[in-house]
Amino acid sequence: MPSLEETTQKIRETAKKALADGKAEVVIGYKKGTYPLSTAPFFARTPEDCDQLIWSNFARINLANYLPGRPGKVAVVAKGCDARSIVGQVAENQFHKDNLYVIGVPCTGMVDNNLIAAKEQRPYRDYSETLDTITLKGADFSTEIKKEEVLRRNCRTCANRTPKTADELVGPEVPGAQADDFADLKELHSKSPEERMEYFKDLIKDCLRCYACRNACPLCYCPVCFVDETRPQWLGKSTDPMDTLTFHLLRGLHCAGRCTSCGACETACPVNIKVREFNRITEETVMDEWGYEAGLSWEQKPPLTVFQPDDEASFIK
Amino acid sequence: MFNPYLPYPVRIAEIRVETEDKNLRTFKFEFLDPDDENKFAYMPGQFAELSVPGQGEIPIGIASSPSEKGHVLFTVNRVGQVSSYMHNMKKDDIMGIRGPLGHPYPLDTLQGKNLLIIAGGFAVTTLRSTIIWLLEPENRPNYGKITFVYGARTPGLLLYKDEWMAWDKRDDIDVFVTIDREVPDWNYRVGFVPAVTKEVCPAPENTAALICGPPIMIKFTQPVLEEAGYTPDSIIMSLENRMKCGLGICGRCNVGPEYVCKDGPVFTLAQLNQLPKEY
Amino acid sequence: MPEYIVEENALKDFLQSISKGRVLLSPQGVGDKCQITETTPDKVTLNFTNTHISPKTLFFPQTEWLMSFQKDHSKPHPYVYQDLGDKAKSAVVFGIRPCDAKGLSVSNKVFQNDRFTDPYWKGKYESVIKVGLACKDPFPQCFCVAMGGSPYGATGLDVLAFPSEKGLGLKPITDEGAKLLAEANLKEADLSSELKSQEEAAIKAQGIPDDYSPIDHRGLLNLFQDPQWQSIAENCLNCGVCTFICPTCHCFDIQDEENSEGGVRMRNWDTCMSWLFTVHGTGHNPRPSKTERVRQRFMHKLKYIPMKQNGDRGCTGCGRCVVLCPVNIDIRSVALRMSTLNMQKQA
Repeated sequence: MPSLEETTQKIRETAKKALADGKAEVVIGYKKGTYPLSTAPFFARTPEDCDQLIWSNFARINLANYLPGRPGKVAVVAKGCDARSIVGQVAENQFHKDNLYVIGVPCTGMVDNNLIAAKEQRPYRDYSETLDTITLKGADFSTEIKKEEVLRRNCRTCANRTPKTADELVGPEVPGAQADDFADLKELHSKSPEERMEYFKDLIKDCLRCYACRNACPLCYCPVCFVDETRPQWLGKSTDPMDTLTFHLLRGLHCAGRCTSCGACETACPVNIKVREFNRITEETVMDEWGYEAGLSWEQKPPLTVFQPDDEASFIK
Repeated sequence: MFNPYLPYPVRIAEIRVETEDKNLRTFKFEFLDPDDENKFAYMPGQFAELSVPGQGEIPIGIASSPSEKGHVLFTVNRVGQVSSYMHNMKKDDIMGIRGPLGHPYPLDTLQGKNLLIIAGGFAVTTLRSTIIWLLEPENRPNYGKITFVYGARTPGLLLYKDEWMAWDKRDDIDVFVTIDREVPDWNYRVGFVPAVTKEVCPAPENTAALICGPPIMIKFTQPVLEEAGYTPDSIIMSLENRMKCGLGICGRCNVGPEYVCKDGPVFTLAQLNQLPKEY
Repeated sequence: MPEYIVEENALKDFLQSISKGRVLLSPQGVGDKCQITETTPDKVTLNFTNTHISPKTLFFPQTEWLMSFQKDHSKPHPYVYQDLGDKAKSAVVFGIRPCDAKGLSVSNKVFQNDRFTDPYWKGKYESVIKVGLACKDPFPQCFCVAMGGSPYGATGLDVLAFPSEKGLGLKPITDEGAKLLAEANLKEADLSSELKSQEEAAIKAQGIPDDYSPIDHRGLLNLFQDPQWQSIAENCLNCGVCTFICPTCHCFDIQDEENSEGGVRMRNWDTCMSWLFTVHGTGHNPRPSKTERVRQRFMHKLKYIPMKQNGDRGCTGCGRCVVLCPVNIDIRSVALRMSTLNMQKQA
């Protein structure tokens, strides 16, 4: 596997070439964050800008989020999951494929900072990372943590680490995990409807209704989200658990057959709600019903956007 | 402790449809507790939150004058949830009003001056309040010449018809009412407000202009006044922004550091020139 | 006023004493669950960074019912809103951090401004005695010093507590704080020199050479019209996390909810990051894109509030938004940019 530095170099070269060849006016990638264990989205418009682009174990945000509605030709750095989101956006006419250049990065997973916080509580002001390790540096200590121990949940089960629809890959393909068997949902399925309701209410009890999950999601591009509609107002705006739960359930349903488990929602959530739980259930349903996984090829059509005369219709009374 | 969020309960004493498109209605409210009328002491240019229980609140300029006792008037345009609901309410229904809020026109410091009052469309409400107040026998002698320019697209969109027609017959106020385009049986002016203003505005010396109207009218009237020699501190305007609390707390109506609700809505052009154009 | 010392084994007795007849509030829980809640003296710990989201919830809950009405015409006052009253309980909070206490004092001047007093805030804010805990060891996100504060700052506090060599040092700040300590039967001690040297060391440890004060000298319109806002906003998701977790963000929305029997008027936290926040009934929006909204947040904190509050900033350097912004928009960098651009422009 190439090191982080090698991948960084490759991204910079590819970005510069994309700008020089007129494939893009801007390259959306990551730069080093101002705070330990972070990156920031970065919009590179010149070769000098491109030298700020990096690859990191903290490139968690899905940059496809910046595509819908963006004018001009754009190159975007994409992990496997991000590339799948882009396919979805193109299928849903949110961005034109001709204006797009996908710089695919075969990905070995991103780090969950909460898992790091659980391992090291002492304050650290500096850190370093390799493809497999994170090292935290405090005033009088240094701790090395293995990346595989602090991977995000979605990265652990990711079967599509190599972007399949990229215009260019900046490294060799990496094998994905075993095909997703939705083992994480087994316990939930064993619950009664009442228990499941309790489970979900408990899951969202800290929700601030900030909608960071929605805003970080590359699929949530509606000009006006249903929670912001005022006439009629579909949903109360308080911390009432049913209103909050309705938001999360409806968002989960809106993402059915579209979610690529990129985990941007959970990364953005300021109170660490496992938001993806709602999407996982619809992901599984779509897999069971149609054997469909979102965004794996430009040709596939999302099942919930396609009508066929012989579609099952007996449930419509 | 006084609670500025708690509305005074009022009864709808009368509802008058003002415009031919029926989108504007004037509500006459009487306070359920007569004592509340004293607490609601206001001056022209201030506004209040009209409160419909279960529906919400809307900030509306006070159309009545403090010299009109026993009731308060508000003219409401049907735009959102609360105003649409109000348009279906009936005489004797109970609702609430909360205020007075904001600062009035600086009528005390304008004593001795000529006043040019310019209104466009339904933004005339707080200027109606001002004129009624100015024409009171105890107030009128304290001011110089009063000129009133009022425009709307069509005759059917002009508010308070009986009143401005009566003012037009008086000799202590000059009234120039105008519509955009010629129509049959129209005996007043035709043309846009800026053009009429240019023609009739008094000399700028010892004169202040009070302007309230849609942004497009203000945009074209302001240069007319400046050209005529009006200084920025003699041009007085009233701003609108989305509001909720009306108390300078909830944080949305600010224009730079100033809250339109608490520090406005009345600002001089001189003040606005120092502020970002976020309204 | 004298300082006092509480030895380690006497901490519980001290907390027992100051919470007599009052509710005791203190940070509880670890990591993302740490927040100030009602507790008992034996559960109080001095070993925490800071609460995950700001303690403004104590005085300004995310949802607060203000008033209610009922529709039954056979009962008195149908369709007339009745105040739900002030549910404030007399309490003492132990362990609020100086950045947060200062932030809440900034909000206090908004909720009790030159024209109006918000009774719901005032009731709660003024019924809580605030014992702050100084920050001996700053965390990487901390920058209170750059915002004109100090890890040992006393603004908004009644008492400042700090870890002394001899135990827990206590310095009364207000008369109410002095009374609280006088009644607790504590040992007096002259800790002023220790306090001073600790504060100096903590300020130094924060290691922030940046001085953001040039923002103060830069004209309002000059800052507002800066073309840089567009590039600062380019990253922003407009999610509003920064506003929800912030100790000084105080904006809210007022909403009515009703059913067949009656209804309530409530307020809920709102955010200037939302397009809905400023949209007019006509559809016109004075802040139509995220550029205007991002500018509003930083201008409000770093320019508008200082203009209205004698130079005190609407950011106190708690660092929560630095940690929690999903796209790493760092208010420290923005503030620096706002001040250095100034220098270039005026040069």
